[in-house]
Amino acid sequence: MTTQTTELRMPPKPRNRWRTAAIVAALCTFTVLTCLPAIGGVELDFAGMVRNWANGADKMGELLRPDFSFLPRTITPMLETLAMAVAGAALAAAASIPLTLWAARPSNPNRVTRQVVRFIINVNRAVPDLVFAMVLVAMVGVGVLPGLITLFLFDVGVVVKLVSEAIEGADHHYIEAGQAAGGTQSQINKATLLPQSWTLYANQWLYSLELNVRISAILGIVGAGGIGRLLDERRGFYAYDDVSVIILEILVVVMIIELCSNLLRSRLR
Amino acid sequence: MTTTTLPDLTLPTRPSRLRETIAAVLVGAVVLVSIIGLDIPWTELSDIPGRVAEYLRLMFAEPSWEKLPRALFETWRSVSMAWLGAIGCVVVSIPLGMLAARGVGPAWLRFVLRRSFAVIRAVPEVIIALVLLTVTGLTPFTGALALGIAGIGTQGKWVYETIESAQEGASEAVRAAGGNTAEVTRWALWPAAAPALMSFALYRFEINIRTSAVLGLVGAGGIGTMLSNYTNYREWDTVGMLLIVVVAVTMVFDLVSGSIRRRIMEGGRARAVDR
Amino acid sequence: MTEAASTTQPDGVATPWSITLEDVSVTYPNGTRALRGVSAHIEAGEMVSIVGLSGSGKSTLIRTINGLVPATSGRVVVGGHEVTGLRGRALRQLRGHIGMIFQSFNLADRTSVLNNVLVGRFAHTPSYRTLLGLTSAADKELALRCLDSVGMLEKVWARAGALSGGQKQRVAIARALCQQPSVMLADEPVASLDPPTAHAVMGDLARINAERDLTVLINIHMMDLARQYSRRMIGLRDGEIVYDGPAASATDADFEQIYDRPIQSRDRMGSAL
Ligand SMILES: Nc1ncnc2c1ncn2[C@@H]1O[C@H](COP(=O)(O)OP(=O)(O)OP(=O)(O)O)[C@@H](O)[C@H]1O
Ligand SMILES: [Mg+2]
Repeated sequence: MTTQTTELRMPPKPRNRWRTAAIVAALCTFTVLTCLPAIGGVELDFAGMVRNWANGADKMGELLRPDFSFLPRTITPMLETLAMAVAGAALAAAASIPLTLWAARPSNPNRVTRQVVRFIINVNRAVPDLVFAMVLVAMVGVGVLPGLITLFLFDVGVVVKLVSEAIEGADHHYIEAGQAAGGTQSQINKATLLPQSWTLYANQWLYSLELNVRISAILGIVGAGGIGRLLDERRGFYAYDDVSVIILEILVVVMIIELCSNLLRSRLR
Repeated sequence: MTTTTLPDLTLPTRPSRLRETIAAVLVGAVVLVSIIGLDIPWTELSDIPGRVAEYLRLMFAEPSWEKLPRALFETWRSVSMAWLGAIGCVVVSIPLGMLAARGVGPAWLRFVLRRSFAVIRAVPEVIIALVLLTVTGLTPFTGALALGIAGIGTQGKWVYETIESAQEGASEAVRAAGGNTAEVTRWALWPAAAPALMSFALYRFEINIRTSAVLGLVGAGGIGTMLSNYTNYREWDTVGMLLIVVVAVTMVFDLVSGSIRRRIMEGGRARAVDR
Repeated sequence: MTEAASTTQPDGVATPWSITLEDVSVTYPNGTRALRGVSAHIEAGEMVSIVGLSGSGKSTLIRTINGLVPATSGRVVVGGHEVTGLRGRALRQLRGHIGMIFQSFNLADRTSVLNNVLVGRFAHTPSYRTLLGLTSAADKELALRCLDSVGMLEKVWARAGALSGGQKQRVAIARALCQQPSVMLADEPVASLDPPTAHAVMGDLARINAERDLTVLINIHMMDLARQYSRRMIGLRDGEIVYDGPAASATDADFEQIYDRPIQSRDRMGSAL
C-alpha cells in the first residue's frame, strides 16, 4: 500500500526507452575504448596493481609515521608558497577587473570583443596549471617567477570566467537607467556595474586565493618554487616520513586559509 | 548655477568608513609584503617578455606535426585515465556521499565521512595522486586509480550537498506517505538528485582531463609524459604541437561535456561548482 | 527646428521641449509589432498620461522618445532634434536632456544614493572623469539639491538597496532631475507602490511639471490617477492611438475603446484617498 502511495506522489517522468538505451550503449562503448591499450587506452592490469600495492604497503606505513623533526626545514618554502599564492591572487585580481567587464554581456554589448576575450580566457583555462609552470620554467628559468606567472594566469582564467558568468546571471536594470541618462557603457560600468558586482568579484578573489595555496604547493614539482620542490625532493629520496610532514603541513595551511577566507566572505555585503 | 540664491543644504554626516579603510590597508600590506618577500629577479624582469616571445615563436611559428599520431595516441591514454578515474571516483563517492547526507546515515558515520572528505579536499589532488603513484608504481592504470581516490573529497561533498538540497521538499512527501529510509532514498532523493549527480560526474571527468595531463608530467604516462619529455629534449616545435593538442582536446571535451551537462540540468543554468 | 540644442537657463532649470511623433511604427526583432503608425504632438510643458492594456505598447512608445527602442519607421522629434537616425555620441547628448524613471526604479542597489543620483550627470561629464571617480563640486551640489527637492537628502549616504520602494522611486526622480532635463518620461512610476506612496510620487511629478514647467509623459495603469494628475490622456490599444483628449472628459465609450470593455470599479486604485 505504502509503496503505491509513494509511486503516485512521484512527478510523472517522460521516459524514452530507445534514447536511454542509446545513451547507455554510448557510455559502455566509450568505457570499453578507454580500456583498449592498442589504441592508447589504459591496460587494466589488476595483477600488476596488486603486486605494486603489496610492495608499496610498507611505504604507506611510513607515511603514517611523520617525522616532525623535519618541520623546521619546511617553514621557509611554505612561506614562499604562501607569498606566491597571495601575490598571484592579488595581481590576478587587478587584471580581472577590466577583463571581466570585457567578457560579460551586460558590461560589453559588443559581441566581437566579448567573444575574443572569452576565447582567450578559454584557451588559457584549457592549459593545466602544472603544464603552464613546466613550460614557463623552461622559458624563464627555475624559481618563483614562473610559479607566480602560472598562478596569475590560472587565477585570471578562473575569476574572469566565474565572475563574468555571475554578472550575466544577475539583473542589471540600472544599466537601462544609465543609458537613458545618456551615459557611455564605460561610465555605466564604472559608476554602477562595478559597485553592484564587487561582492561577486571579492568572492572569487578569495576563492582563487584558496586555490592558489593548493596549486602553489605543487608548483615546485616542476621547479617553480615553493614547498613542492621540497616535497618532490623528499619523495625522490623515498623519505616518506618527511613527505608526510609536508602533506600534513599543507593540509593545515590550506584549512587555515579556507577558514580565514570563509570568515572574510561572511563579512562581504 | 548661482548657489547664492538657494538656501544652504544641511547635509547629514557621512557614516565613518574607518573599518573599511583599515581592512584595505591591511590587505594592501599583506600583498606588498608577499611581493617584496618573493625572490623575484627584478633586474632581469625586463628581458623576460623578449625571452617568452622568442620561445613562443619557436613553439608556434612552425609547430612540428610529425609526431601528431603519437600525440593523439598519448592523448587517448590521458583521456582514458581521466574517464576511468572519474568512473571510479563517482562509483565510490555516490554511496559515501549519500551516507554523509543529513537524514540518510547515522550521525556518527556522517561526521566521520564529512571529516574525511574535508581532509582529502584540503590536500591538493595532485599530491595525493603523486604519493599514491610513487608507492604503487607509475602506470596509467594506477594513475586512473589515483585520480579516482584523489577526487573523492570534493565529489563526496558535492553529493551530500546535492542530496540535502533535494531532500527538503521531496523526502517529506514520501515520509508523509509512510515510506522508510530506503524508500525515501529510492523514490524521493534519487529522482530529485540524479540530474545534478550526473552533471557532477561529467564535471569530474572534465577536471580529471586536466589532472591526468599533470600526472603525466610526473611519469604516469599519457600526453603529460610526452610533453615533459619533449620539453626536456628542448624540441620546441614538437612542444608547440603538443600544447596545441592539449588545449584543443581539453576545450573540445569541456565543450561537449558542458553542453551535455546543460542538457541534463534541462535548460536550467548549470550550477557553478568549485574545483 | 526652432528650439536650440542646449537650453539650460541660468538658474539650472531647462526650458521644456515639445515632442512630435509622425507615423511611428516599431517592430521588435522577434516580429512583434508593438506600435503601428502612431502620430501625436505634445506641447512643451504639457503633462500627458498614456493608458492602455498590458502589452498595448505604452513602454515601447515612451522608449522610442529617448531612442532606447529605435523606431522602425516614422519620425520622432524631441525639442527640434530628430531622434530617429541619431546614434552614438549625439544620441547620448540628446538623452542627457530627457529624464526617465522606471517602474522598478532601476537603481544600483549596492551603491550609495548619491552615486545613483550622479548617474544623471553622465551625459554632462567626460568619460575619463567618471572612470577616475572625479565628481565636480557643481555636480555634487546639483545632486544634493535634487535629492533635497524630493525630500531624500538625509538618505544621501545610504545604500540604495536599503530604501523602501517609495524612497527608491524618489531617488530615481532625483536622478532624472539631476540631468536638468527638458522632458521627463515615466514608465509606470507607481505600479509597484502602495496607494499613499503612489499619490505622493505622482504629486512630485505634477509639482515638477508645474514648478519647472517640464514636459512630462507618464505611462500609467490607474485610471483615477491619470485623471487626477494629468490634463491630457492618450489611450493605446494594440499599438495604435485610440483616444487622445482631455483626461477628465473621457467617456465610458472611450474607456471601452481603450480597454475593450466598460470601465469597472476595480480599474480604479480606490477612492479612499
Ligand atoms: N524587447 C522586446 N522584444 C520583443 N517584443 C517585445 C519587447 N518588448 C516588448 N515587446 C512586445 O511588444 C508589445 C508591447 O510591449 P510594451 O512593453 O510596450 O507594452 P506595455 O503597454 O508597456 O505593457 P505593460 O503594461 O505590461 O508594461 C508586447 O506584445 C510585448 O510582448
Ligand atoms: Mg510597460
